[in-house]
Amino acid sequence: MWERTLQDLIRGLRANKKDESKFIAQAVDEIRQEIKSKDMELKAAAVLKLTYLDMLGYDMSWASFHVVEVMSSPKYHLKAVGYLAANQSFGPDTDVLMLTTNLLKKDLTSSPNDTAISLNGLSHTISPDLAQDLSRDVVTLLNHSKPHIRKRAVIAVYKTLVKYPEATPFALTRLKERLEDQDLGVVAATINVLCEMVRREPSGYLSLAPQLFRLMTTSSNNWMLIKLIKLFGFLSPYEPRLVKKLQPPITELISTTPAISLLYECVHTCIVGGMLLHASGDSLAELCVTKLAAFLQDPDQNLKYIALLALAKIVPTHRNLVAQYQDMILSSISDQDLSIRMRALDLLSAMVTRDNLQSIVQQLLSHLVGPDTSSLPTAAQSLALNISSSTSDGAGPILAPTQLSSYRLTLVQHLLTTCSHDTYDNVVDFQWYLSVLLDLTYVASVKVGDQIRDQLVDIVARVRGVKRWAVELMTRLVRDDTFLANAQEEGSCAEVLWAAAWICGENSREIAEPQKLLPHLLQPNVSFLAPETIGAYLQAAVKLFGSWSMELSEDWDSGRIQDIREVVDTLISRLENFTSHSEVEVQERAANAVQLFNFIRADLASASFRPEDDSTAGPPANETSQNPTYPKSLLLINPLFSAYELNSVNTAAQDCIPVPESLDLDVWIVPPPREYTVPEAAPDDDTQEGERPLTKKKLKGKGKRKGKEKMSQAETLGSQTDPIPSAGPSETEEDKAEREKRRLERMELRRHDPYYIPDKPYSATSANDIDAIPVVHLDDLPPLSQVAETQYPSLLRDSASVIPSEPFVVDKNGEMPEGAISPPSSKLDPTPPMVTSSIDTAPQVLSSFPAYVVDEEIPRMKTPEPIKVKRTKKKGVSSAKSRRTVVE
Amino acid sequence: MIHSVIIFNTSGVPRLIKFYTPIHKSAQTVVPKIYSLVSTRPPGSCNFLEAPELDQLLGQKDVDEKLRVVYRSYATLHFVFVVDLSESELGMLDLIQVFVEALDRAFENVCELDLVFHFDEVHHILSEIIQGGIVLETNLDEIDSSVHQAASARKQSFAAANPLALGVGGVGPRNAGLQTPLGWLTGKITGVGAR
Repeated sequence: MWERTLQDLIRGLRANKKDESKFIAQAVDEIRQEIKSKDMELKAAAVLKLTYLDMLGYDMSWASFHVVEVMSSPKYHLKAVGYLAANQSFGPDTDVLMLTTNLLKKDLTSSPNDTAISLNGLSHTISPDLAQDLSRDVVTLLNHSKPHIRKRAVIAVYKTLVKYPEATPFALTRLKERLEDQDLGVVAATINVLCEMVRREPSGYLSLAPQLFRLMTTSSNNWMLIKLIKLFGFLSPYEPRLVKKLQPPITELISTTPAISLLYECVHTCIVGGMLLHASGDSLAELCVTKLAAFLQDPDQNLKYIALLALAKIVPTHRNLVAQYQDMILSSISDQDLSIRMRALDLLSAMVTRDNLQSIVQQLLSHLVGPDTSSLPTAAQSLALNISSSTSDGAGPILAPTQLSSYRLTLVQHLLTTCSHDTYDNVVDFQWYLSVLLDLTYVASVKVGDQIRDQLVDIVARVRGVKRWAVELMTRLVRDDTFLANAQEEGSCAEVLWAAAWICGENSREIAEPQKLLPHLLQPNVSFLAPETIGAYLQAAVKLFGSWSMELSEDWDSGRIQDIREVVDTLISRLENFTSHSEVEVQERAANAVQLFNFIRADLASASFRPEDDSTAGPPANETSQNPTYPKSLLLINPLFSAYELNSVNTAAQDCIPVPESLDLDVWIVPPPREYTVPEAAPDDDTQEGERPLTKKKLKGKGKRKGKEKMSQAETLGSQTDPIPSAGPSETEEDKAEREKRRLERMELRRHDPYYIPDKPYSATSANDIDAIPVVHLDDLPPLSQVAETQYPSLLRDSASVIPSEPFVVDKNGEMPEGAISPPSSKLDPTPPMVTSSIDTAPQVLSSFPAYVVDEEIPRMKTPEPIKVKRTKKKGVSSAKSRRTVVE
Repeated sequence: MIHSVIIFNTSGVPRLIKFYTPIHKSAQTVVPKIYSLVSTRPPGSCNFLEAPELDQLLGQKDVDEKLRVVYRSYATLHFVFVVDLSESELGMLDLIQVFVEALDRAFENVCELDLVFHFDEVHHILSEIIQGGIVLETNLDEIDSSVHQAASARKQSFAAANPLALGVGGVGPRNAGLQTPLGWLTGKITGVGAR
């Protein structure tokens, strides 16, 4: 049996660099044999070798029992190996830990060497169980005669308390006594430990302040002073009197100490401890900032780094003091060192105000654009690069920070969050900001497209004044075929196209010649985009066509009919490509649009011979002048989208809408099947259901009936269609005349209804058939004239680029429901205003926009009211009484 | 507190890995990543490592728990400390210096090979400076005397157990090559462990 020592193993590893894994596999096999040996020396050597292999990433958890064996050896040099292996390999879930309790108990009370090594081991491997069992033993060691042991015991006690807080009352007093220890090393270790404890729970240790203060004024050990000052930084926010007391000694330390680390810690504590907030704090703040500014100019990069770190903390309270050094800070953003850049970035984001936002953002943007000339590798760097690349494997060449995608991402994210901070509070010129966003889209080349998209949509909803400019920019983006071609590349920000399509579609009135954008929106390359973006594209195309056809109808020229037909034909053929898209969302939108356009195409086809039709058809001659000369289908689409303007909505808006009294969410919609019974009768009064005040008990009964009602309604509907034809023979001549009169009235109504397009000219012959069919039409759509009025005239068409001179107004709060008096904070208004009535009359939002809810700020318009579909039957046209609300 | 102490050389080979708190990723992913970040920093950079991907690597939850990576490079070795907010940034730089000086005293002109062949000894020295992530001692003389005391205790214990041995396991300048006469003989006979 010839064993290898650790040295042999390492030598072997160095000699077998080529097939290291094979060598190690062999070595582990040997170790498995040796570790079972009865010879403790051999076992320990095997454990030590395993510990080394553990560092290289080879598992040693299987050997934990053998580790405990070695730990329990009475020989110190073996015990040391055992403890080392345990420290390295044992974790909180190592099961053999519970075997070590007695071993540790024994070692703790053994010779000083054993005690020291077991205290050290305990600090690493302690578990809650061990802490509970050993807490008394460890605390006893706080009074050991040797300072070295006391020192270790102090830390071990802290570790015990972390795992077993129940021991705190008993241990803490003993621990505090160590602050008075003869040995300074023990005091310093106690301070280190207290620093950890205070950071976790500052308020519990305020009583220590006098003792700590005395130590601070008498000690000259810089290590300890740093920790003490840090400790006070945690404590002083909880004790205002401490601030006053600490100010003189800390000010003195700042001005006298030669140790920069101590000086920095003092400055840092002043900032985080709130010592600059008091009346007397201003001069101290100035002193701090001056010191930090000196660090900033220091050639030592470390000082520059920590200066930026501390300045970022002082900015919220003393912005003006820091602003003096803005240029210096701006220059750090182009530092070669990534760490310094990151700090400077944080600091700059904190420093931004309305006045300096533009210059800072411009500076940051310039980092993203083009090659960074300041970071071209110098001769020394390229030399270092060569050395490192020749000696290292895996490490890439030294890149300039701006070339690192992770850094670019952080930079762009900082930029976006800084500008959008507090609902764009610092942005004065939104035209400028939108341009910045567009620039970012092009130059970012990291994945920030979704954030830019959200901000674009948000701004367009909140800032009215900038809409036209936004549309202009977005049209440009949609027209950019190169951008579309590159959209599949990594970091292309293709998500912005979603916003572009949405903004163009939603504000299509602002576009001069909307039909020219259509080919761009439906070009075949679009199908490579993300499904939700394609959806937005299709929807935008429909909206654009809607507003274009609307425009045509206002200024009708029958010569245009051929143009429109062509456009519609192309639209249909292009859209049909998308009806077979793999994503169901795209499919559905495309299919819907195709149907709409087929409808329009059919109408356009019949429109050409309309002039002759008009003279021969049913309507009386005196109404011909009111008849539109253009094809009515031109007005089909626009009202679908423009009926309502989209605004941003206050986040509390939903809470301000009172819950309808009749709404009870506990009521069954469909009752459980076992309770099914034959309905007694079909109640006709269910339209009044909502108005009736209902008690809880009644509601339950109601709920059961509701389902039945639906069923019975279906039955009655079915049965009621039957009697109509059968009633035919028995009707009198008067009835017939009456019916004919109503039919003509209805036809007249339809004539103005863009949703009703006859494929044949009206004739009196088919009357009976038509009347028998129930006509479903959408309620609550505004009359056409009204829609036309609500449109404000587009200025864009008059002058291409009008720059609004008035400042931009940001709608920060968002829209609140009409009549909502209660502010968002007071949700418990006893009598919330009723808004339902006003909503009822308002045109409904046809929720046609996909995934608008991108962030919490801009949810959809209003509580979506269910759309009422009224089924008009033969006798129900004129009288409101017999209207039956099928869907409510 | 100090969360970990890592030493690796300029090729990324670890020479010492010590984690004081359990980490959510294995040391085998953290160490190479830190190495790649450290080794690509241009010369003359500051000693604080910051990179956008670092937070995610170290598994940080919020600002209060933010971990900092402080490192210092000596010849062919990088010494990396991962610390949290209760440690002073500049203080940690000094502590790395103390650690290196303690190694230097123990090994007399320490070089990478000492760390390679005495990785257990390096752990023992570190344990005299940091215990369980808390700084135990910063005074170089104190550290040195404790290191020596522990080393001589191990030597005595070893000598008592192996009367024929010549000081293996003790600290000293490159005495690793010295083997027990028996070991030396067996090495000669079997050829195992030949250099």
